[in-house]
Amino acid sequence: MTTERTRRFIATTIEVEGREETKVVEIPDRTLSPWTADQQLNVVGKPVRRVDAPEKVTGSAVYTSDRTARGLLHAVLVRSTIPHGRAVRIDLEPARAVRGFVDAIVFDDLPKDGKPIRAGGVRFLDPGISYAGHPLACVCADSMRAARAAAHAVRIEYEPAPFAATAARATEPGAPPVRPKGGNISRSSPMVCARGDADQGLAEADVVIRGQYRTPSALHSAMEPHGAVCEWHGDQLTVYEGTQGIFAVRDEVATALGIPRSRVRVVMDHMGGGFGAKNHAAAHTYAAAILARRTGRPVRCVLERAAEQSDTGHRAPSTIDVTLGAKRDGRLTAILVEAVVDQGISGWEASVTKIFHELYACPNVRTTETFAYTNTHAMAAFRGPGHTEGAFALERSMDELARDLGMDPLELRLRNYADHDQEKSRPWSGGDLRRCLEEGARRFGWNWGSNWGQTPISNGSNWGQTRISTEETSHTPQPGNSALTPIPARIRRGFGLAAQVWPAGGGPPAYATVRIHADGSIDVLTGTQDLGTGARTIFAQVAAEALGARVEDVRVVLGDTERTPFAPNSWGSMTTPSVAPAVRMAAEEAHERLLEAASEITGIAPECLTIRDGMIIPSAGAPAVPIAEITRKLGEVTITGNGSRGPNERGVGLMTFGAQFAEVEVDTWTGVVRVIRLTAVHDVGRVINPLLARSQLEGGIIQGLGFALFEERVIDERLGLPLNAGLHDYKVPTMADIPEIDASCLDTVDTVANPVGARGLAEPPIIPTAPAIANAVADALGVAVYEIPLTPWRILAAFEGSQTIN
Amino acid sequence: MELLVNGQRHEVTPDAIESLADTLRERLHLTGTKVSCARGECGSCTVLADGRVVYSCLTITNACAGVAITTIEGLAAPGALHPMQRAFIDHDAVQCGFCTPGQVLAAVALLSEIPVPDESQIRRAMSGNLCRCGTYPRITQAIRAVSGQDTAP
Repeated sequence: MTTERTRRFIATTIEVEGREETKVVEIPDRTLSPWTADQQLNVVGKPVRRVDAPEKVTGSAVYTSDRTARGLLHAVLVRSTIPHGRAVRIDLEPARAVRGFVDAIVFDDLPKDGKPIRAGGVRFLDPGISYAGHPLACVCADSMRAARAAAHAVRIEYEPAPFAATAARATEPGAPPVRPKGGNISRSSPMVCARGDADQGLAEADVVIRGQYRTPSALHSAMEPHGAVCEWHGDQLTVYEGTQGIFAVRDEVATALGIPRSRVRVVMDHMGGGFGAKNHAAAHTYAAAILARRTGRPVRCVLERAAEQSDTGHRAPSTIDVTLGAKRDGRLTAILVEAVVDQGISGWEASVTKIFHELYACPNVRTTETFAYTNTHAMAAFRGPGHTEGAFALERSMDELARDLGMDPLELRLRNYADHDQEKSRPWSGGDLRRCLEEGARRFGWNWGSNWGQTPISNGSNWGQTRISTEETSHTPQPGNSALTPIPARIRRGFGLAAQVWPAGGGPPAYATVRIHADGSIDVLTGTQDLGTGARTIFAQVAAEALGARVEDVRVVLGDTERTPFAPNSWGSMTTPSVAPAVRMAAEEAHERLLEAASEITGIAPECLTIRDGMIIPSAGAPAVPIAEITRKLGEVTITGNGSRGPNERGVGLMTFGAQFAEVEVDTWTGVVRVIRLTAVHDVGRVINPLLARSQLEGGIIQGLGFALFEERVIDERLGLPLNAGLHDYKVPTMADIPEIDASCLDTVDTVANPVGARGLAEPPIIPTAPAIANAVADALGVAVYEIPLTPWRILAAFEGSQTIN
Repeated sequence: MELLVNGQRHEVTPDAIESLADTLRERLHLTGTKVSCARGECGSCTVLADGRVVYSCLTITNACAGVAITTIEGLAAPGALHPMQRAFIDHDAVQCGFCTPGQVLAAVALLSEIPVPDESQIRRAMSGNLCRCGTYPRITQAIRAVSGQDTAP
């Protein structure tokens, strides 16, 4: 961070969720020297307990839906029951007759000055319907029960239109137009990205493998549904919203209502999970704000579960055609990909092909990606968007290639190790996939070459042969190797691995303030959010470290646009790498001021004082004094420090890496897959809190397990309606599904990425889980699997297909 | 009717089919009981009825006369922690925390029925409480710790 000292405001590029954004950044006055690997740190790196856990285990933590107020009204959105067409008449009279009804809004009641409000990719309350679940009206009443009854009483006359509920349908010739304007594919489609000459690379290959892979629409399914409580005091609006971005919601609400940002306060204290679906204001936010203004009463609008599962975003389904070419020794010569992504009615373009350019060394890569629109609700970022889908296709293909080459899948990956960013010809800031693979293999006991698949077979491949096992399990042979067919067994065991890359360097702007009160207690203020990630705890540790304070004396105040300075949305695994350096800088400034004060009060030179564990310690043997002893003497003069996040280093790629290994058992009679154990090793730079890091790794892995085995939103293609909009039919993992998980991070520090040395951790662990499991299933069955989730019928179909061939 | 919650008697007049979850949250302001699905799919609203696990979203308040209800707020004295709450903190069995009250109560009920549950008993008893953050391995550790079984931190 030594460039452009002469200018205060410069443009910088940061990578969020795999997309690059250019931002103006204010160069901080202060520079921080990185906390290096051998630096003695007292609080950072320690398994400090989650600071807000006591509130959460006692039920005293207040979430959005727990907010109440005198005269609170409850609001319910009325939604379309057809996927495409028009609401020609919305009759609110039956709703008005419901006891407790207070008010209702439709499109015509919205302010007509200024641009129409957009929510979820469509005009808010637009009678032109573009998906099932599209909000058409909002009613509010004295009680939740009355509001629900009134919402059910609203009568809507529809004029249906032809629709397309899948990307395949939407991109067919003669498909009905999905949206009011523009075609059924995005303006940027087809998006081609290439380096080298992929066709030439393919011609040079000794081995070529091809496959078409499919990933489902997965739903975030946070336990707390989306919700907002809105309250007006004069012309000042307060929005309590469980959001990943308080400033984004503030700006969007202010713009929608045509009021200054300074008149909108957004508060997020605790939220029940986000996973990417809660980055913006949405229909419920606007409905609550507008109804609160109309009625003069506070309004709460919290989605019911069915709405949560059908109109709050989803991971976009994808179809990915992969061709890999390689030399006999395993080196990739070409990667060709054609992908179609089903955005739903709208959404940003989360590339499923980007990972093909990043993960492995290959001189010739060409990807073509089409983003199709369909009459289903809009996609939203979902933990590792794009890469998670792409990793399934890429890592399954790599295993198919290994099988063709007769090569250990681990060895194939090591031979194609990418030691730099090939797209931009620049080094990584840090991070080492090779070490993740090797360390993961060691912890897992990956031993493909020796005691697995020992029997040599004619074509040189030793894949898929009987492995040594004490249990009553065995392996299917390759098609064509019937001479070596082992005894069929009901339960098959298999092993698989997959790797991951993900941009998680964060970036500016982000600000923090640290205040030390007269009694020695400390506030850290920063406008970020704790989604359950542990951000509060992490920043308490960083501030305590930089100040020399005790972590229990630090209180972190987040999530309030009026009280806390700006920090970015909590997305793209960027909260820690963006905000922690700002917190550290603020704490260092406060540390310096505190030393000055201590020096003037004690008469000891500041360079002869250190602060540790809340004590100010003179070097010359004089007694140590608590911080409070100094601050008390200052009275109301408050020691304050401000910090901001400086720009990212230029000319480096900020990436996380990881590898996961899976062992599964597949029941060939029922098609049920049971994951026995998973080993994960990730490189995310410095781990600020190993206790919380392990939790977040496990959380990502468990969501990845759901993506691999169970999770799939189903839309009836003939009706255009979601069929499983609930937590019973949309299956998320339960306690009964959890394997033994060994999740860890490499002990590394990324001093290039930022002065704290940490990259992000939230998204990386979900990315390799599904392909690792799918590879293990393919290994167990001896057949390729091309589609997730690996539900019993897919397993049985794949397995029976292979038996027929035999 | 009279409703006995956390050892206190409350006079309430619920609607005919009002759920216990709504009564607890909206009338008694005991918002530690969370509602996530409101149809018995997720376990967030778990409370104890005479010591046994019930989904309060599917429990009709009017059917609770004479039943001792325990919510997360009543599990320990104010300012104190039940050993299960302590273990959830120590083992980091909490991320977003929204399912946590239900998880803690389900775990307490499990141990009152089976003091030293094995892994399959824990899986069976806890699989009605969903956690989207994926704290399941930590919850298992917390339950094992409270039941005196060996746990690596």
